[in-house]
Amino acid sequence: MSRCAALTGSASLIAALLATPALAWASDTLTYTFGGEQIAMTQVRSEPQGPAIAVDDPGLTQLLGELGATVTWRSGERYILITTAEPLVIGFAVGDRQYDVGPVAQTAPFAPFVEGGHAYVPLDQLLSALDLAPKNDSGRTVLQPQLAGLDVQTAPSGAKVVAHAGVPLDWRVRSQSSSKIAIEFDGVGTALQPNRTLQGDPISRIELKTEGSISAPRTVLVLWLSPGAPAAVLGTDDQRDFTAAFGTLARQNAPAPQARPEQPVAQTSSTPSAPAQSGVTAVRSTSANGGAVVRIDVSGNPTYEWHRLLPPDNRWWIDLHGVTLSMPEQSTKGSDPISGIRVRQQAGAVRVALSLTRYNAVAVTSDATGITITVSSSLAQADAPRSGPQNNAGSVQTVQSGASAASGRYVAANPRLIVIDPGHGGSDTGAIRGDAVEKVLTLDVAKRVRDILSARGWQVVMTRQTDRDVYAADDSAHDELQARDDIANGRGARLFVSIHVNSFMNAGPHGATVYYYKAIDLPLAEAVDRRIAQQTIIKDDGIVKDKLYVVHHANMPATLVETAYLSNPDDLQLLESPDWRQKMARAIADGIQDYAGAPSPNLSNGQ
Amino acid sequence: MQSVRSQRIFFLIAVLIVAGLIAWWWQSQRSSTMTNRITVYYTKLDGKSEIPWTVSMRPPAPGESSAEHLHNTVLYAATQVLAGPPATTAAIRFPPGTHVLSANVTGSTVTLDLSGEAARQSGDLAENGAFKSLVWTMTALPGINAVAVRVAGQQLTTLPGGHLELDEPLRRSDW
Repeated sequence: MSRCAALTGSASLIAALLATPALAWASDTLTYTFGGEQIAMTQVRSEPQGPAIAVDDPGLTQLLGELGATVTWRSGERYILITTAEPLVIGFAVGDRQYDVGPVAQTAPFAPFVEGGHAYVPLDQLLSALDLAPKNDSGRTVLQPQLAGLDVQTAPSGAKVVAHAGVPLDWRVRSQSSSKIAIEFDGVGTALQPNRTLQGDPISRIELKTEGSISAPRTVLVLWLSPGAPAAVLGTDDQRDFTAAFGTLARQNAPAPQARPEQPVAQTSSTPSAPAQSGVTAVRSTSANGGAVVRIDVSGNPTYEWHRLLPPDNRWWIDLHGVTLSMPEQSTKGSDPISGIRVRQQAGAVRVALSLTRYNAVAVTSDATGITITVSSSLAQADAPRSGPQNNAGSVQTVQSGASAASGRYVAANPRLIVIDPGHGGSDTGAIRGDAVEKVLTLDVAKRVRDILSARGWQVVMTRQTDRDVYAADDSAHDELQARDDIANGRGARLFVSIHVNSFMNAGPHGATVYYYKAIDLPLAEAVDRRIAQQTIIKDDGIVKDKLYVVHHANMPATLVETAYLSNPDDLQLLESPDWRQKMARAIADGIQDYAGAPSPNLSNGQ
Repeated sequence: MQSVRSQRIFFLIAVLIVAGLIAWWWQSQRSSTMTNRITVYYTKLDGKSEIPWTVSMRPPAPGESSAEHLHNTVLYAATQVLAGPPATTAAIRFPPGTHVLSANVTGSTVTLDLSGEAARQSGDLAENGAFKSLVWTMTALPGINAVAVRVAGQQLTTLPGGHLELDEPLRRSDW
């Protein structure tokens, strides 16, 4: 009797399991339908708790390719990381049942494993993380993309609903009135909660329902609105997710980092953050030998650079990069010849600024626990360096520039010569937007700068005067860029200015940016940027330190001006205007002259 | 008398087995719920400031050496940087599809070989911001202070869009 019951039970269990699509994994090949195509997964292992798929399985590779996802795993490595197009990182670890889908930790029924040189992960969990639901459709298993997330953000007088799925959302408005908006998403189903009542204004209730077939599903999102709700702004922030925004949240150009409900660990900061162990903990001043000593106690390994202004200003400051201020900002009187000490947290650096009563000589030394600034009672030489990069003890090297730059001094063999570098040219077009081509625009602006400076008595050499490569057609970036620097270095030019046009992957960023790298570049970049801000109507994005080849390898003070963005319609309009290009050229020329002064036969070097 | 003694021994063995099983279960639960947290930096659209983003990773596996753990952490953190923050966060991103081909740690320098998509940035802003986030994230890991970058197995002098220099390891002080 019991034997009969056991046989009956076993048969029932097998029959029940066969009736579900999941049991298709009984073989080592699984066939799915996705996007109308059949995908065969052949490297499948049948584990007691479910199927395991090799991450290099050709079928899985095909599926991930269609989803825009990539796998990072090599033999011997522990982590199997799958980056989706959303973007989201699905992180499996060999031997660990816990896995992460973005910031959310989950548990699989079995741990990923490596066998025969292949890494296997739980297939059902992977498909779920990819927002795909296997559905039985007349005997075949369809991978149905899911509307997997519906995030609701509320604010005073505003709300925002963001829907996202494993595939880009194809949406349209089905109906719209003062009381509700219905939006259809073609090609996706959903298992999300069908009804949600909200306390806030202007959305009072959210409904979700799925229509259509398994192969051609359609999910309808209905937003019920409160009386007097502001108009909705519908669209996508990133070409994948759908957003319905109301009121104040509709007016935000760039949404604030809005964590999903399950994303508790994200945090943002308006200033760059450094590891918590790096910080300025104390700044104190003492008198010594008629002068003064300022001691900055620093934990961690920051890098720093210092600058000073000529009399009568006499200010001297040091920027410590990669640290935060671990003490209150302070503004105190110092010991003579220091009339004031200010300590401030700035973007990416802590600045300690000294106001000196005279143009005193200043020496900087560092050790494992901080920096010592010795202000002498005697005056500095007139040609002493006015800036310098240094390292804190045990720290990384700061500036990998040539000897002249590292010493903070540059003596121009030809102090009347300025080299202007029109970016790109010849076989290298640079950015293109419609009829606007970067290499053409940079040459035009560069010629205008040349004409203005020449009229003022400067000797100007351009790295190219026509649409050509400076080194050779289709040359390497190194040869091409070095050839431009060689023109300036070989002639001992006073300074080097490279002119470019920026672009970005979307139309958002706009404005002019002035780049520098070496410490001796900074005053030139600041002077040019100041004039651009004053004299052109474009947004001033300020100065940015960046390791750009032509700036780095120019021996003299150098800067690279990104005049505007081709990718932004407003900036493009400016770039296409000869009048505006003339304004930009004049601003660059004026900035150069602010920095270098008027050309004269007795001109001293730029430091 | 001997029977009682045998029963006691049997009981003692059973208790030890149960205690061992409980200890094993507790340890396995503990290790599976423990996580390490690392900070990933993403560059804001201004190209200057960073968004620190905390992500969790699995605790070290039993027997995993510190060098192996650092390698795993580098790979995990670099993958997070290349993926970018959630779509709702405005940040400069690597081109879609950019992923890590290999990661190696030698001394205090990480060498990352990135897929070819990494060289498809469109200008200074994107190049500067994307690689700044990579370098800031890597150098936030203990013992790392420089990042050497290769693209599709090649050592590039510069990137083609904005000409960020890649022929030397990048450091925080480059920004």
